[in-house]
Amino acid sequence: MLNRTFQPELKAIDHIDFIAPVKYALNEEVSLFHMKDVADETCRFDLYFDAGKCRGLKGVPNFVNGLLLSGTDQKSSIQIQEEINGKGGFYESGVSVENAVISVYCLRENLWTIVGTIADAIKNTAFIEKEVNEFLNDSRQKLKINLEKMSYLAQTEFQQRLFASHERYSNVLKLEYFDNITIDQLKEFHAKYYLNGLSKIVVVGNVEDELVSNIKTMFQPLALKSPLTFEKGLKNLPGEHIVDKENAIQTAIRLGRILFNKKHPDYIDFLVLNTILGDYFGSRLMANIREDKGYTYGIGSMVAEIDDTGYFLIATEVRKDVREDTLNEIRFEINRLQNELVSTTELELVQNYMLGQLLKSADGAYAMTDLFLSAEIHGKGLGFYNEAILAIRAITPERIQELAKKYLKWEDMTIVGVG
Amino acid sequence: MIKYDKFTLENGLTVLFHKDITTPMAVVNTLYDVGARDESEDQTGFAHLFEHLMFGGSVNVPEFDTPLQLAGGENNAFTSNDVTNYYDVLPANNIETALWLESDRMLSLAFTDKSLEVQRSVVIEEFKQRYLNQPYGDVWLELRPLAYTTHPYKWATIGKEIKHIEDATMNDVKAFFKKFYTPSNAILCIAGNLELEDVKSLVTKWYGDLPKLEKPLRNLPKEPEQNEFREKTIERDVPANAFYYAFKMVDRKHADYFVYDTLSDALGRDKSARLYTTLKKELNLVSNISAYVTGSLDEGLLVISGKLNDGVSFEDFDQALWNELEKVQKEQIHPLELEKIMNKIRTAKEFGDQGILNRAMNLCSYELLGDASLINKESEMYHQIRPEDILRVAKVTLNKTNCSLLKIKSTNAK
Repeated sequence: MLNRTFQPELKAIDHIDFIAPVKYALNEEVSLFHMKDVADETCRFDLYFDAGKCRGLKGVPNFVNGLLLSGTDQKSSIQIQEEINGKGGFYESGVSVENAVISVYCLRENLWTIVGTIADAIKNTAFIEKEVNEFLNDSRQKLKINLEKMSYLAQTEFQQRLFASHERYSNVLKLEYFDNITIDQLKEFHAKYYLNGLSKIVVVGNVEDELVSNIKTMFQPLALKSPLTFEKGLKNLPGEHIVDKENAIQTAIRLGRILFNKKHPDYIDFLVLNTILGDYFGSRLMANIREDKGYTYGIGSMVAEIDDTGYFLIATEVRKDVREDTLNEIRFEINRLQNELVSTTELELVQNYMLGQLLKSADGAYAMTDLFLSAEIHGKGLGFYNEAILAIRAITPERIQELAKKYLKWEDMTIVGVG
Repeated sequence: MIKYDKFTLENGLTVLFHKDITTPMAVVNTLYDVGARDESEDQTGFAHLFEHLMFGGSVNVPEFDTPLQLAGGENNAFTSNDVTNYYDVLPANNIETALWLESDRMLSLAFTDKSLEVQRSVVIEEFKQRYLNQPYGDVWLELRPLAYTTHPYKWATIGKEIKHIEDATMNDVKAFFKKFYTPSNAILCIAGNLELEDVKSLVTKWYGDLPKLEKPLRNLPKEPEQNEFREKTIERDVPANAFYYAFKMVDRKHADYFVYDTLSDALGRDKSARLYTTLKKELNLVSNISAYVTGSLDEGLLVISGKLNDGVSFEDFDQALWNELEKVQKEQIHPLELEKIMNKIRTAKEFGDQGILNRAMNLCSYELLGDASLINKESEMYHQIRPEDILRVAKVTLNKTNCSLLKIKSTNAK
């Protein structure tokens, strides 16, 4: 008779194969990374630019990024879209605080054609008045819709307080920006940060080395010529900021602080603490606030990174009447990590879970490339992940308590609630 | 070409195995042939609430998530109007933990009152977070009952109203489990770097002694043919006027399903589709517009939706849209236009079949349609489509009497 009450025997993860993409230098500052080990016909192409939000004010970085395919003197935006879509390409673009990225997903047989279209569109963006106006109207409408979302409001309120020390980091999109923008401002930003701001190229796909080399040549003129530098010494503004919204039926909560990134010696150990607190389904926050009290559909914590530092964040949307209670419970869970040692059972679970997730993060060419890039951007090689495996295995309950005391002080936290 | 093996246990459980030697991970995907369409009209949202309860412990295992996490894995699930799908992703050498957990919750749940109470609250918060506390979040709660008068697609997966979730009792929960969560009503797919014989013996070990129960018969009310234009306007505190034109279309097994999908791509998949280039780029009436099919197993919808620019009336837009729809009913699309659409479909298919999780889910979905091997025939189905097929389908579909229009009127738009 089968005994269903015992878990089948578990096997430890003995090693993880980390594979680096091939690196080609455009110049001393800029590289192309090619991950060739893709078994199917798909490929991805990314261009990174030093054109993040921190490089401009009044929405200019967002607007220029959104207008990259808006037409040249020779080609309309419709023609450009037609060329990309007609070859089965999917185009995406986005701006974060410290960089701007455009990505194309397509079949490898079409990569060269699509890359050609993109290169032409970006090098020769004309900022045609009709296109700019249409784009601004659409973006204004999108922003108005976002301004109705409690999660968006909480996120932007949080960002302003998290990066309070540096205006170019704390600045968020405002409706008034749409009325005061000039085409010259857009052109100026484009010339400075796109035509001379390419910081990285990534190709994932089983394409010929010659094609990769041609891509490199094609974008060489856009490459940055001096090292990337970003602001240092960012500080968050601690304290609680609650915005009451009469019609809202839930409150969006964002809570966190400036912390550190992979360069910091406590980074990996802190990730273990972060996982225990809020970064998996069985976390303390989920177990308490969702699975015990039913206050929310979800609550989670994370560590995000920027160039010089990083930040810790807890995010949730909860029933409006339990807003205060939720904050109290978050505080309770943080206190518990500071005052009580994590049991070895719970720690073992989190260690196994994290190693399993690391194995998954290295599974397949696409995931492996992203894992590589997330270390590379902080000057680390894949050795970082082998160190991570050792550190995750070696961590003790005492060490977790020490980190909770050091980095999760309630008085250091920026707390935002909207709704 | 996605290869797989298939076998069936005596209790009726269908098992698919997809071998992939390139990955250290494994997937256990379980599709139950039950969705919101199987609910009764006074107890909607139940299939989805039940999905949450599947994580509340089973008869021999008090917690579902903990052992899986201990094995380095993670899991999730989703419910649609048609199916409920659960998946576990974990290191391949620990796959037995997933089979142990999944087979035990197929055998029976723990049915604790605490789990029901908590998940009821969680689902109500999900209802609010996704459907009520969002601009335009309640669109499908309004559009479904307009487009469907009879078929259970008239309610959304989350349910018609919060009250139905509040009223669910433990007896309802147990009855639901007993009826739908049986081996014969499930399709299991295992994917990873494993051997078929090992998979067979592990599956037999953990699922073999589950009792054989009848697969529930489905007898859903059929949606009568629509012979009238339906229109509803709702006012909401949103920034822009929005429109949803929903046209009835064929079911998922119908030979024309792929033609409908292609037609919707031609109209509004991306920024070079017809409606975008004319109604937005030429006429500047909308800020965005797209077209898509719902892809449901029973008769679905082809939907055209978007938002009006400030100052544009619903009437002006309506006229321009019908003009555009008339063109695709009068003139065959050019073979070059069709070729471009097919290029995009090929890319999407290639990415959609990437990774063992996608493949395991897709194999189960196709098996539910009747045959997992359809996963390898889909490209050919698209390839066979001719311009005259699109014309034929457009003619019978894009008509006023086959259309339900939902307008969201902004209380503060200009």
